[in-house]
Amino acid sequence: MATPRLTFLSGFAAALAGAAGAAVGWNAWQMLPIADPVLRGGAATLAGSLALLALWTPVVLVAQSQFRRLCQRVNTCASEGRPDAAPAPIWLRPVARAMNRPIELWAERATKLQSSMRETQIQLRVAEAERQHIETILHSLRDAVIVTNAFDELTMANAAAARLLGFDTANATDRSIDDLISDPELRQMIRDARSSGVANKQRHVEHELTGSAADRKDARSFDIALVCLPDPSGGCAGVVTILRDITRDKEISQMKSDFVSQASHELRTPLSSINAYVEMLIDGETQDEATRQEFYQIIKSEADRVSRMVDNMLNISRIEAGIQTAEYSDVDFVEVAEHVVETMAPQAKLKDITLSCRYGPLVYTAEADRDLVHQVIMNLVSNAIKYTPEGGRVTVSIENDDASRSILVTVADTGLGIPPEVKSRVFEKFFRVENYKRVAKGTGLGLNLVKHIVETVHKGQVGLESEVGMGSKFFFTIPYTQDDMASRLGAAA
Amino acid sequence: MTQTPAKILVVDDEAHIVHVVALKLRNAGYTVVTASDGEEALELAINELPDLVITDLQMPYLSGLQLCEKLRETKELAHVPAMMLTARGYSIAEEDLARTNIRAVLSKPFSPREVLERTKTMLAELIDEFPEADAA
Repeated sequence: MATPRLTFLSGFAAALAGAAGAAVGWNAWQMLPIADPVLRGGAATLAGSLALLALWTPVVLVAQSQFRRLCQRVNTCASEGRPDAAPAPIWLRPVARAMNRPIELWAERATKLQSSMRETQIQLRVAEAERQHIETILHSLRDAVIVTNAFDELTMANAAAARLLGFDTANATDRSIDDLISDPELRQMIRDARSSGVANKQRHVEHELTGSAADRKDARSFDIALVCLPDPSGGCAGVVTILRDITRDKEISQMKSDFVSQASHELRTPLSSINAYVEMLIDGETQDEATRQEFYQIIKSEADRVSRMVDNMLNISRIEAGIQTAEYSDVDFVEVAEHVVETMAPQAKLKDITLSCRYGPLVYTAEADRDLVHQVIMNLVSNAIKYTPEGGRVTVSIENDDASRSILVTVADTGLGIPPEVKSRVFEKFFRVENYKRVAKGTGLGLNLVKHIVETVHKGQVGLESEVGMGSKFFFTIPYTQDDMASRLGAAA
Repeated sequence: MTQTPAKILVVDDEAHIVHVVALKLRNAGYTVVTASDGEEALELAINELPDLVITDLQMPYLSGLQLCEKLRETKELAHVPAMMLTARGYSIAEEDLARTNIRAVLSKPFSPREVLERTKTMLAELIDEFPEADAA
């Protein structure tokens, strides 16, 4: 701020000095005794110039010196906010007074500007930090988020959006949605949201994404939320578009719906039998005692079937809710497997399937819940029989797997086999292999219950090896307890 | 009624259902043939030419609805009425009923008495509708 003040005052001093020099030159010319007007003119000019020079130098020097002092005082006073703390010389006081007010104003303005600049810098840093936070949050979202401006150009996009729509976030900013989004309907949605101009009003559209996303094998369903960003005039400055993949939610919803329908059917079937046989008995449609006894047995077995189904559903719910209580005891797996084989033999016989149990001379025991282990082997054998064509073979084998310190139970069949693309899903609740729904009925709960009982309750593992047309091998392990290991080692010794 | 008893085809993949329905109808004097899935039923229907088909809806290989469509498409069986026994009565749409010969839908759990009553009614309607078929 000192430089403009000095420059201004230098000019002022120079004007004063010039005026003084001119006055001296005029007086000198008036006193010269030269008659010739030309000579008189030249001499006058010279005399004037000399007089000017003679007077100019001290005047300028004095003026400069005073001026510097004045400047220093003015500057000091201005900077300390006390303009009258060190009074200027009397002859310069009017000038100083005249100068003080604008200098004070300039100083105030400068102070305000400095303060404002500091505030702006702080705000800038805060805004930058906030922007980074928002970007971090945006990038950590699973939902794809894109922000476009009033010209439908991209201003922000997260990583999920880049992956979904197939662009690079580094080069995408300021590019038109026509270049970045291949799905024409999505582009139109963004345009409509922007042109509708209703700020902060969220619209939701369910849409199956096509275009670059359709390069993948299956088109996926999205819940698309579009929000118009308000501008100061109340218009729409841009659009935030959030794409949530709801494909899986829809699948689960469909699976649940299928399950309710299937479970209802599965429960009604045995109930129908019970109802019909009871009515036949009431109506006296049976000719003899043997037929009546047969009906009683059928009613009993169908009632048991309903009971088993309800148990399956409740067991899964309990295990999922973490309230399943297991009653642990030393379980002889061979005894359990043989009991299952015996129970399922009539069902296997109906399809001419050879059902057998294989194990070595050792006693295969582990601490487990016998009823739950029974249910696991029963579900696996029941499935194997269901999906094995007539004349096939189902084998249950029990062995020790010392590598994993577990009992290993395998149920192998010569059935249809599981297609590789759905192998990872067969243990999911409600899941059924689409093409096999026609082959046999089921609720899609059996294998899920197997997984829950083995892995959640017994901390074991389930697995599957299968080849379409060659059969399947389902297996599970139940870990030895410390006591089991000790007794086994003791027996070996 | 004709002198020869009407022949009824009963189809269900649940052996107990087939058993109980067949017994009820046989006790009432009808001739009953049975099948345990849709494909077997279609083959049997072509060979046996039943007067009425009583079928489950949800069955392996060929559903009850598909079976009824096939019956309608088969010249000799196009007039044969069908009764659907199903736990999913709601899933049979009006247009499905219109393009097949399904004349009755009974929900499981069903009453064998009701099955018998509906059988009698449907066979009587069939005689009224196709007297020549009955005579044949």
